[in-house]
Amino acid sequence: MKIIATYNIKGGVGKTSTAVNLAFIAAQNNYKTLVWDLDPQGASSYYFRVKPKIKGGSRALIFGDHELDGLIKATDFENLDLLPADFSFRNLDLVLDARKKPTQRLKKLLKPLKKEYDFIILDCPPNISLLSEAIFEASDILLSPIIPTVLSLRTLEQLKKHIKDSDLNHIQLIPFFSMADRRKKMHREIMGDLNDKHPEVLSTTIPYASDIERMGWERMPLGSYVRKSPSTEAYQELWKEILDVI
Amino acid sequence: MTAIPLHFELPENLTAKKFLAKLSKKLNIQVADQQYTIKAFYDSFDWRLYNARMICEFNYSQKKSQVRLIDLNSGDVLAIESLKNVPRFYDQFPTGHLKTHLAEPLEMRALLPLCKLPYEMYCINILNKDKKTILRIQLEEYEQLTNQLHLLPLKGYDKTVKKVSGMLQKSFELKPTQASVLKEALKGHGRKPKDYQSKLDIKLMPGIEVSKASKIIYLQLLQAIKINEAGTIADIDTEFLHDFRVAVRRTRAGLSQIKYVLLATEIAQYSEFFAWLGEITSLTRDMDVYLLNYKKYKATLPVSLREDFAPLYEFLKEKQSQAQKKLAVNLNSAEYKKQLLDWEHFLKKSLPKKGKGSSDQFNIKKLSDQRIWKVYKRILQEGGSITEKSPAEALHDLRKTCKKLRYLIEFFQSLYPEEDIKTILKALKGFQAVLGDFQDYEVQEMSIKHFSEEMMENKVPPKTFLAMGVLVQYLDSMKCKARNEFSDQFVLFEQANNQRIFKKLFAHKSSVKK
Repeated sequence: MKIIATYNIKGGVGKTSTAVNLAFIAAQNNYKTLVWDLDPQGASSYYFRVKPKIKGGSRALIFGDHELDGLIKATDFENLDLLPADFSFRNLDLVLDARKKPTQRLKKLLKPLKKEYDFIILDCPPNISLLSEAIFEASDILLSPIIPTVLSLRTLEQLKKHIKDSDLNHIQLIPFFSMADRRKKMHREIMGDLNDKHPEVLSTTIPYASDIERMGWERMPLGSYVRKSPSTEAYQELWKEILDVI
Repeated sequence: MTAIPLHFELPENLTAKKFLAKLSKKLNIQVADQQYTIKAFYDSFDWRLYNARMICEFNYSQKKSQVRLIDLNSGDVLAIESLKNVPRFYDQFPTGHLKTHLAEPLEMRALLPLCKLPYEMYCINILNKDKKTILRIQLEEYEQLTNQLHLLPLKGYDKTVKKVSGMLQKSFELKPTQASVLKEALKGHGRKPKDYQSKLDIKLMPGIEVSKASKIIYLQLLQAIKINEAGTIADIDTEFLHDFRVAVRRTRAGLSQIKYVLLATEIAQYSEFFAWLGEITSLTRDMDVYLLNYKKYKATLPVSLREDFAPLYEFLKEKQSQAQKKLAVNLNSAEYKKQLLDWEHFLKKSLPKKGKGSSDQFNIKKLSDQRIWKVYKRILQEGGSITEKSPAEALHDLRKTCKKLRYLIEFFQSLYPEEDIKTILKALKGFQAVLGDFQDYEVQEMSIKHFSEEMMENKVPPKTFLAMGVLVQYLDSMKCKARNEFSDQFVLFEQANNQRIFKKLFAHKSSVKK
């Protein structure tokens, strides 16, 4: 079982669509998969049409003794479950801070689910906070979508430095370009210039595409309403490449 | 808390269409799919999945095909996977929950189709206000059986299941039923679950004559030979040949142990036939065992040599294939068919009332007591005389004597209290295991040496021989380990409690002489 966190310090880079679409592809390939929506905005819960609410909110989650299993909801897709978000997750940092060994909490909560799932995908909120520290402790892989802009590459450098400085040796950082617009000169140049400076960035790029944007309207993963398009193929390729490197 | 019923039978006059029309008035439903589907049931020849309380269904239509593993007790779906066809062996399944569930019960046995049923399948989703599916229903409309409805609960939506299950019972008056129509489907083909078991199940009455009892035993063994014959010839899996050979060995043990029934000439004739059957099937079985052990052998090697081991696998495969072809020719031969038919006719006509020693002056219980007690005493005597310096042959002879005892107990176990038989069989099996290991490791060690000589001619890379040398060393160490364990296992077998049970069950003041 692998725990993959879709994470970036920046917001609006395509973390949720990555989490939802890759989870959908994994499930279609017979991998039992769980998405945990840790973002208080509850976007992945919305995409799966699940109410962003958990009993007792973040306090019960962090201090309660009930297991995560009881909070999980099946999605409309075989092999794919969701642990919904809750608006109280906006305070998750504060609640975690009030607990002993706060950064170990998510890891401990996820432990009993290891047998049941092949992949657990954590859809994370942006920022570096106590919650992200706990996410880093729990995850095997940090899958980081980056928009091909100078600022995004800078945040990738920050993330790499943070992983190194914090001795998070167990984590495999996998960045890839997301929302890439080949019509934009800067996007093309940054991606072209990539190999030397960032060989770890995957070769698959997720395009900026209207069919991905439609996910909010359709309220389902891309692959369930678009049979075949450059976007669906890009996600398929991305999943294959991730399987190859992990 | 009682479990919520999830499986229902529709009344005879309620068609799927009518039911759906009624259901749509009560719930927000979506018919996600409707397909003419075939349901095929799968299990191993000896019902290993059913014995492990599982049912394997393969549902296929033009659009999709799925393998589903169902818990026989709870009706829960244990694993589900979209596959185009059903692989024969568990290790051919893609990695996942289905493969994991199948591995332990199936082992080396093939998954075979049992029977098929056509039906119209309706996949129905129950939706909430957000058009999210909160429960799935599978409706199966059969021509030959009553229509079935299955609730397929979704994680996190327990209240919906409870509500809909209650509604189906109250408002629709549906009757709860079993999770699978396997039994009904088999019935249509004149079969029932567990209609073949490789374990002997001979029911004898203590007072019946020896001739009648032996006929019951031989006929059951003949049945096992015949049942496993086609699978052995077709080489479906290794257990057909294994069960075939066990039935042959048991028949041979019967011929040598159940005396006073057949004439010496008859014993000689049939003993020769069954000895021949043992002989012509022996090489294939040996090769099967080596191939089954191959992964285990490979794991004993240092990692750096494992890749060099592959030529041995190819050699064994080739040898098995040649042996199997010869075996198939022999089992398809007129001579084999004639001899087996002769034996069957011989058993079906009334057995002679008076054999060599006028058997019917005593009943089967007396004969069984006498034979088992005699062979048991022989084991104690043979085992007791084995020392650290005894040659390997002494252990091999003892192993054969133990096999005789095992077969006798299995033939006659219905004549004795079940618990006592269980205890002594368990003790005997433990003792046989160490003797079997000793023999197997010795034979395997010698065979690997022989194979290496044969492989020399095939231009096999030198590293393969190095790997085989390491294996020989491992087999030798395991043989020594089994040899060292012998005395402890013998002490366990001859312990007072076992002696007491043997004495209580079999040591009567029998008037029967040898």
